[in-house]
Amino acid sequence: MPRAHSDPSMKHCILNRWLLTVAMLSMSAFVHAAQSDAVRSPRAEVRLVSAQDAAAPAATLGLALHFRLQPGWHIYWMNPGDAGQAPRIEVFAPEGARVGDVRWPAPERHVDGPVTTYIHQGDVLLPFELVLPSAMQRGAELAVKASWLVCKDICIPEEGAFRLALPPGNDRPGSDAPMFAATEAAAPVALDSRWQASVDARGVLILEGPGAGALQSAEFFAADWGRIDHAAPQTLTTSGDIARVTLAPGAEFDAARALEGVLRIRDADGVERALWVSTPGERTVRAPAVSLALAGTEPPVTGAMAPPAAAAGEGPWWPLLLAFAGGVLLNLMPCVFPVLAIKALSFARVGASERTVVRRQSIAYCIGVVASFVVLAAVLLALRSAGSELGWGFQFQSPVFVSAMAVLLFAVGLNLSGVFQFGSRLASAGSTLTERGGLSGSFFTGVLAVVVATPCTAPFMGGAIAAALAAPALHTLAIFTALGVGMALPYLLLAFMPGLARRMPRPGLWMERLKQALAFPMYGAAAWLVWVLSQQSGADGVLHGMVALLLVAFAAWLTGVAQGAADHAGLWRAGALVVLVAGGVAIARTPGEVIGPQVVADNAFTPQRLAELRASGTPVFVNMTAAWCVTCLMNEKVALSTDAVQAAFAARGVIYLKGDWTRADPDITRFLQAHGRDGVPLYVYFPSGGAPVVLPQILTPRVVIDHIAS
Amino acid sequence: MKQNALLGAGLMACAMIMPVAQAAPRVGDAAPAFTAVDSNGRSVKLSDFAGRTVVMEWTNHGCPYVQKWYSGGMQALQKEATGKGAVWLTVLSSAPGTQGHVDGASANRMMKEQGAAPTHYLLDPDGKVGRAYGAQVTPHMYVIAPDGRLAYMGGIDSIASPDVNDIPKAEPLARLAIDAVLVGKPVAKAQTRPYGCSIKYAN
Repeated sequence: MPRAHSDPSMKHCILNRWLLTVAMLSMSAFVHAAQSDAVRSPRAEVRLVSAQDAAAPAATLGLALHFRLQPGWHIYWMNPGDAGQAPRIEVFAPEGARVGDVRWPAPERHVDGPVTTYIHQGDVLLPFELVLPSAMQRGAELAVKASWLVCKDICIPEEGAFRLALPPGNDRPGSDAPMFAATEAAAPVALDSRWQASVDARGVLILEGPGAGALQSAEFFAADWGRIDHAAPQTLTTSGDIARVTLAPGAEFDAARALEGVLRIRDADGVERALWVSTPGERTVRAPAVSLALAGTEPPVTGAMAPPAAAAGEGPWWPLLLAFAGGVLLNLMPCVFPVLAIKALSFARVGASERTVVRRQSIAYCIGVVASFVVLAAVLLALRSAGSELGWGFQFQSPVFVSAMAVLLFAVGLNLSGVFQFGSRLASAGSTLTERGGLSGSFFTGVLAVVVATPCTAPFMGGAIAAALAAPALHTLAIFTALGVGMALPYLLLAFMPGLARRMPRPGLWMERLKQALAFPMYGAAAWLVWVLSQQSGADGVLHGMVALLLVAFAAWLTGVAQGAADHAGLWRAGALVVLVAGGVAIARTPGEVIGPQVVADNAFTPQRLAELRASGTPVFVNMTAAWCVTCLMNEKVALSTDAVQAAFAARGVIYLKGDWTRADPDITRFLQAHGRDGVPLYVYFPSGGAPVVLPQILTPRVVIDHIAS
Repeated sequence: MKQNALLGAGLMACAMIMPVAQAAPRVGDAAPAFTAVDSNGRSVKLSDFAGRTVVMEWTNHGCPYVQKWYSGGMQALQKEATGKGAVWLTVLSSAPGTQGHVDGASANRMMKEQGAAPTHYLLDPDGKVGRAYGAQVTPHMYVIAPDGRLAYMGGIDSIASPDVNDIPKAEPLARLAIDAVLVGKPVAKAQTRPYGCSIKYAN
């Protein structure tokens, strides 16, 4: 999206942008053939990668978890040291496959007061091998579930599921092979056969071999906990062909057993290397970090956390039906209502004319609705593959979009109020589109209906969209199309069923009155959007929005004058155009996020707070909301903030947490995804010690109280 | 590395200033004596509990490994141990401004919310008690026998994970140690791997 915006030549060509979207979609599927989607957190970005771009039967694949850690954050080595935990990887592979353990890179020492840990930071590749079965056809479908602890000052356990599909073919090196080669080149190597390692009873690690006496530095990392004191200083002494590294024995030190680990050395030439050292004796058996999933276990759904089993029901048709039902219900949502009003008005206007006109306009409206959903789905998919964390309704997180919507609705209101008319010669900005007569007017009314409806995800719709976003691109498009058809259907019915059409009112003076009255929901909607803007961009954002509204009102008045003027109409119109452009500039320059201290409410949702409360056995009610979501605000008004519900919360000791998604918040996006949703509202009740319960998207006090009482 | 070297130098300087050099105690040693203030503002000395079994638990309510155990397991263990006559000391060594640091009133409120039942909740913001015992992680567990010797130090159980579902699968190392000490038997596994988050000590 930002790329498309920054290229001015693209702005005028919708077709080009559409093609770009399609190209991005197909390219993303092509270029990342040997990489899974990333699991992202503010701390780490993790992928499953393959050294090969294709899979052949009986081939040995080089796989790896690729961590890109934010500065200061780290994960842990096979022996994490005094604290922490090594990552764990579970592989879902074709039956008969075998896995090797992680080939651990050499760790770094991390000292934090009396706590010494062995860590990895920055860009880390944890490679492991997968041997494919010889009885295997048509490429490999791999899934991997992994969990890791990522720490900085604090520690966060994270987990993710990854999928990788490799097409059939020779297992020649793929595009990520160089990354694997670089990791392998730096990996610890076994001691040269001319060298010998041993450890004495006091914990001195002795290396004998040519050049051992010339080591400049050596630092030992034990592969198992307790064998050495991780924090104790180590000293290197050399004589002849012998190097001695003095270690402090740990709680489980035993000179008779093998001491294994990595020795980081700087040799006589100043070259740094990592050696794998193993002294004679019985070796410790360790649990591998990589394991094969039990046969018959279902591979996980990809993403940061496994969402609960499919939105509802099974089968490919079920999400489509849900999406269709959600689309029909969208017509009843409060955000769609003002647009319905416009449409009812335009139907009333053509009521007297021929039925075929109504039919054709309804079809145009339907196409407008469906086309908008398809475009939204395509853009959403493109942005998702471009790496942004997005969800349904995200466009309302952009202050520029909110500002433009306020202006659009305000301009429609001014038109309804009669400040200006839409003349046949006036062909310009988007606000005129919905009121334009004929097929294109109906088409753009459909477009507007969809744009305004997005923040109000009706019941079923959240689940359907989440299912769509987890599905392949084609499936996603199908689901969005079903949503669109559902939303447009009532109009088609109205047009094609004579019984319904005949009930439509006849034209008369009442139409003018109705039209004027309908301006007020428009002004109301614009006022609401300015309030949303105040949450996103603060006072400066409101100022920009108000200036834009003022300029649009001025432009509308100038246009109205031009329309009534006997002469100099062109001059008035030119003036209107100039003012309109100034209004556009005001919108485009709407400031972004508020800079400065943000007030964090006591009951603000954070994953940490939720985890703390749950850990303490406190029941928690989570409300995910946004200022631009009317359904959310209505639910808060009629259900959550009522005395009955508040009293029920208090009586049962339920802590109420509110997540505000008015602006983009990755923690909330992840919480929504974890519950199979991509938009707000979302209400989840976490009973003390029980499984979380997702509440319906339309609340009544009864619904809430029943859920927390059960 | 440079930072580590600086930190090391700083620690050495601290160690030289401290009147007593502190090495982590070993199982069988006399448990280091201490005096600390509890969440109710009372001064608590280890010697107050001479002749009794003392359990020490290092905590930090923001740590996922502590949260795992405070989903019910820790509270149950506290009640069981104190019910059999042991003294349970929950110790908070998070320095002010770091994760888990709370004042006495917040600690009391949290314990009430969680249904925690230690004998005392000790506030150790300067980390003196934690460093004396060589406590490294939360939850790090210690059991002191009635004779004042350290009988157990290590993990709360055998599976190092933040997953609450692992509790029933793990060997309950701390519980086994507490039960053994309470009946005067030797602890089979007296020193085990402690796991969890590093303690957020004052530097």
